[in-house]
Amino acid sequence: MPKLTVAPQGISVDLREDETILEGLFRHGYAYRIGCRRGGCAICKVDLLEGTVAYNRPVAETVLSAEEQATGTCLTCRAVPETDITIALREENLRRVASLMALYAATRTG
Amino acid sequence: MAVMRMGYMHVRVTDLAEAKQHYANTVGLYQTLEQDGRVYYKGWDEWDHHSVVIEEGGVGYVKCGFKCETPEDVADIERKAVAMGYPVARMTAGENPEVGDGIRVTLPSTHEIEFYSSMTAWGLEVGTHNPDAFPRHMVGIGAPRLDHALLWVQDVAEIEKFFMDCTGMWATERVRTSLDDDAHTIATWLTIGESNHDIALLEAPENKIHHFAFEMRGWNDILHAADIFAMDDTPIDIGPTRHGITRGTTIYFFDPAGNRNETFSGGYRCFRDRPVVTWTPDQLGKAIFYHQRELNERFLTVAT
Ligand code: FES
Ligand SMILES: [Fe+2]
Repeated sequence: MPKLTVAPQGISVDLREDETILEGLFRHGYAYRIGCRRGGCAICKVDLLEGTVAYNRPVAETVLSAEEQATGTCLTCRAVPETDITIALREENLRRVASLMALYAATRTG
Repeated sequence: MAVMRMGYMHVRVTDLAEAKQHYANTVGLYQTLEQDGRVYYKGWDEWDHHSVVIEEGGVGYVKCGFKCETPEDVADIERKAVAMGYPVARMTAGENPEVGDGIRVTLPSTHEIEFYSSMTAWGLEVGTHNPDAFPRHMVGIGAPRLDHALLWVQDVAEIEKFFMDCTGMWATERVRTSLDDDAHTIATWLTIGESNHDIALLEAPENKIHHFAFEMRGWNDILHAADIFAMDDTPIDIGPTRHGITRGTTIYFFDPAGNRNETFSGGYRCFRDRPVVTWTPDQLGKAIFYHQRELNERFLTVAT
């Protein structure tokens, strides 16, 4: 199961198989700026610093261009990590909005 | 009256199979045609062949069409648009399946808008002979009909002018920078009939579509729709709630490609002599989401 680390705080969570970055972070009680959750609005982009991701759906070129993909931009609502990965949010910090979920996600994985 | 209503909305979707699942089984539209990678739908309370078109590849706005009462009405819009210098092209019957002759105007915002006066009749799902109140086996939220759209445009006043001068629409509500006469228009709600709006325009950095909406039969159906969205794991942007603007009840939600849809119900009847409502930016939260009185960031930043 891939481990997701969010720089610069170094917060890390374990993702489930086939889970997107967005799903994994929200499951652990974290939040950040997102929109449609369906790959259409481009709001949920982050920098992919380490590791690789695959997309679980076709992604529109107007939302995430091939060049962006090649230069480390990652669309978190559709990206499923293939390896352990490290990302950095853009112009914002990860917020913990539901600590209870973090507690239970940590004690009951899988 | 020249234009009668928004007749169809055509958008792109990244995955046709998932989008079909959404528009047919969650929104509850009736598929009337699938051809050349496009799927055509109508709501149960619509009689024309289609009101929603989805096309595989990408996401976001392709075009929308307004239905006029007669070919002369279309010709009248064409004359006015040409005289005012908008790029206008003729479209022939069949260019859009089941749609008759018409014109296509490309707005300065790059949005293509079509005007036509005939579409193949399909018929109401309840028929017209001693009809029942609704179809006995509605699917999903059972959206009766397409209602309106909100477009993101860089220059609201410019696009508002097109709709008012060429199509005879008028403004029911506006958001303006102040109550002064020379205030800048940030958003406008334009109607052609007695509904609050057939099209709305919001100032934005890009020219896109913010959402298109289905008219529901009331608040009960809005609540029921939210339940269906929970069952179908349809992402809800906001709601069920009420808009201060138009007083309509609403849910914003997303299709599987990320296009924003809305269920809308309510509002008030409008007549041409109705005074225009003005909202100021300090009250924008209440204007958009009447109960929360706070704008969420997504409303201003998410569009396709
Ligand atoms: S949230 Fe809209 S593209 Fe990811
Ligand atoms: Fe709307």
